[in-house]
Amino acid sequence: MPVWDEVHPATISVQRMRAGDHCFVSYGDDESNWDVLTTFAWTGLARGEKVMVFAAPQVSDDEVWSRLEADSPSMARVRARGQLVLTSMRSLIRPDVGFTPERQWQRIREETALSGRQGYTGLRTFIDMHWVPDLDADIDVMMHRESHAGHLFTDGSYSEICAYDRRWFDEDVLARMCRAHPVNLLTRLGELRAVHGDGSLRLIGEADLATGEQFGAAVGEALTRTADARKLVVDLTQLSFLSVRCADDLLRLVRAADGHDRVEVRCESGQLRVLRALGEHGSARLVLTGMGRRC
Amino acid sequence: MLTDPAGGRAGEPAECLLKVAFTGEDLPRLRVLIEQRASLAGLSEPRRGEFVLAMDALASNVVEHAGGDGALALTRVGDELECRISDSGPGFSEDVIPELAPGINGGPAGRGLWLTRLLADRLVIAAASPGAVVTFAMRLA
Repeated sequence: MPVWDEVHPATISVQRMRAGDHCFVSYGDDESNWDVLTTFAWTGLARGEKVMVFAAPQVSDDEVWSRLEADSPSMARVRARGQLVLTSMRSLIRPDVGFTPERQWQRIREETALSGRQGYTGLRTFIDMHWVPDLDADIDVMMHRESHAGHLFTDGSYSEICAYDRRWFDEDVLARMCRAHPVNLLTRLGELRAVHGDGSLRLIGEADLATGEQFGAAVGEALTRTADARKLVVDLTQLSFLSVRCADDLLRLVRAADGHDRVEVRCESGQLRVLRALGEHGSARLVLTGMGRRC
Repeated sequence: MLTDPAGGRAGEPAECLLKVAFTGEDLPRLRVLIEQRASLAGLSEPRRGEFVLAMDALASNVVEHAGGDGALALTRVGDELECRISDSGPGFSEDVIPELAPGINGGPAGRGLWLTRLLADRLVIAAASPGAVVTFAMRLA
């Protein structure tokens, strides 16, 4: 994992994107990129948003529709009513031919307003940055656009992923663009990232069958690291998925942590219900909190 | 209520929303797909998240204990969203589901099925030859 990706302070999974987020993601293989693209699109459709996909210009529309499973009955309905649209940067800025940030921003504002009039809860776009060589755009102009686009996101009706191919963009550009975006996305589905802090452990991504061992090891390491302080905060709120098994493993690890007086687990309502159902009350040292309050 | 041998509701109008084979590496994508199809079918939160959680628990069981691969069918049947997961493993019965919460009686076995039974409006485990078919459903209302 590149350092610039590791140190971004607001890294989340694509499933946790909120309306109004402006996100950076990088990919080193096409399959990871498809997973992020399709998840982004499907999640937006499920939330009642309009979705515009700007795939890499070298990819055919047929392949994009196929990846989005557009021939399934439910997706066919979405496509037919115009909630899911494939387009390109070239089409967006027409009749202009050359890229300017101002023209692109104007068109995005128009499309966002249109999606509102069409009854959608917002607009989200997935923009593969291969449009830059396709339009022979200046990299510095593109970076200026990325660094000064905050005004598009202020009212929460527009969200955007900018997907950078690590095989094409220079390391320096990737590092600067990652920093320029308020939100950085995990690069693939099914990834779990553990961020150890002073007396805390923050888990980001998905805790499931594949990452369960990593999940348990991270909690175990955090308990060992905080044995002297006898207190630990485990933050689950950035997990987009917590499996039954990982929830149960967490409870077992906390129950066995005899040296700790208090282990606070910060969780969301769905996680809270699962932890309670699995027998959270088996340990006096475990404190479940949601939104900063004891539950 | 009438049920077919695999636990589905018999005689109700059904719309197939997804039919897919899976292995362990497909699970993250499968969760996203189920979430999306469940949403389009009208299953709202927090039930949708619980549906995905139950599906993942059952599919993970297949990957771990029933040969590593299985098949999933998501169907809208009347006013219910139904998920059917089949495998070709050694098979099992409802006896593997613990009576009490797994955290209370100590063992981790059957915790996914235990939680699925708690969350779902309907859970049926049926034998297949070979393997098992697990069907659970939640009301869309």
